[in-house]
Amino acid sequence: MINNPVGVLSLSKREILRFFSVSTQTIFPPILISTLFMYIFGVAIGSRIDFSGTGLSYLGFIVPGLMTMHLITSSYENTSSSLFIARWHNHIQEVLLSPLSYFEMVLGLLAGGVARGTIVCVGVFLISLLFTPTTVYNPFLLIYFILTISVIFACAGMMGALWAEDFGMLNVWNTYVIFPLVLMGGVFHPIDMLPEIVQIISRFNPMVYLVTGIRYSMTGVTHMSIPLCMGVALALALILFYTTVYLFKIGYKLRT
Amino acid sequence: MRNSEIAISVQNVTKFYGKLKALDDVNFEVRRGDFFAFLGPNGAGKTTTINVITGLSNYRAGQVEVFGHNTIIEYPQSRRLLGLCAQEFNFDPFVTLHQLLVYQAGYFGIRPGAAAKRADELLERFQLTEKRNVKHRALSGGMKKRLLICRALIHDPEILILDEPTAGCDLELKFLIWDYLTQLNKEGKTIFLTTHYMEEAERLCRTIGIINHGRIVRIGNKQEVLKDKSLEAVFLEVTGTHEGGNIK
Repeated sequence: MINNPVGVLSLSKREILRFFSVSTQTIFPPILISTLFMYIFGVAIGSRIDFSGTGLSYLGFIVPGLMTMHLITSSYENTSSSLFIARWHNHIQEVLLSPLSYFEMVLGLLAGGVARGTIVCVGVFLISLLFTPTTVYNPFLLIYFILTISVIFACAGMMGALWAEDFGMLNVWNTYVIFPLVLMGGVFHPIDMLPEIVQIISRFNPMVYLVTGIRYSMTGVTHMSIPLCMGVALALALILFYTTVYLFKIGYKLRT
Repeated sequence: MRNSEIAISVQNVTKFYGKLKALDDVNFEVRRGDFFAFLGPNGAGKTTTINVITGLSNYRAGQVEVFGHNTIIEYPQSRRLLGLCAQEFNFDPFVTLHQLLVYQAGYFGIRPGAAAKRADELLERFQLTEKRNVKHRALSGGMKKRLLICRALIHDPEILILDEPTAGCDLELKFLIWDYLTQLNKEGKTIFLTTHYMEEAERLCRTIGIINHGRIVRIGNKQEVLKDKSLEAVFLEVTGTHEGGNIK
């Protein structure tokens, strides 16, 4: 599948160094926002919420949710902005003219999204240690979910970047689809606290399975089937990855 | 390289932009080691032909091969053999000149040490060493032209495709580019050049192709095409144009 490993590494390195070079815009803001969320919702308000039925403190409940939320948004924003700017300036041609296969191009480009999402996710975890003794129940499962979720949204970011014609369109998916689904996916509340009809609708929200997967990996507490969550994450990662490869292959908005 | 004699083979290629037929059953071959001038008025299909050869454009019918490699089915092999110096300055704005060339070499499978050495050689050859650690926005237009050529050459391609490389260049840069292209051609590289400067084509090239309204209207070696006329006269005759547009 990978015939040009040097090429993939070169593209991955460029993508990773790009967001590191603007870390004040890419890494620190989500960590800062998470810190504020943890303080306001977790410490100030959360201490007054009776959450004993879940087996967790409210702060312990929202930390995995915040990790997932920023993993998703950071992975998405990285690839969407990087690829869109590359289309905008037309330096995407540097990649398109190379002997990288379409599979390798997508792999190299998504590396930046996976790396940024993972760094922000780990950063949120480390900050949470200032507020609560956060533990990791199953580190291997946590790595599994971090990787699959970041691949899903790094690919979604590339698809958004290909679809968008201007900077306004670039934010449409994030603002109107991804972020609302994430918030409704159980970042701040257990799904079973919602009215029954909303709970049924939530079963069709893939974010529920992703947030639950990270939360279980961190706390060991769940009301859902974890193999189902793992399956949803893997299926989405594979579907979005190969769809992105296909879009590169047909040259969707890349070739005239 | 499967067919060592034919560097580029364009067979019955038709390309539409919406309803506009940009290329109409285009056929031609460029032989290995040739210096090929591809001429035509603005909008005739020169850049579209280049994009079809390099894989930057899809096309409806026909096929294109680079040293026997189909550019759609065997695109990694064909792209490895091509270097494109585009018309526009399309550089990554986040990286320095040296990083840009090293990354570009990396995409072609060249390891970082060898890539850095090759980048330094090219920057020196094109008098850009002083600018190696700045971003392309700090360059003048002529410097950006040189950087385009450096990028096209970073992986030492067998075929160099240049889309109006000397447009807007001063005389000194024009001669620098001409000398370097002549030297590369003598070393065996195949060169495919589009230009609006007839003296450039006449001076450098051995084979000339002229395209108009998406069709090849004249092709052959320089002597066959010129037949004791100036290239400008031949060009005007076969395209029916003068500077500024069609007069048909």
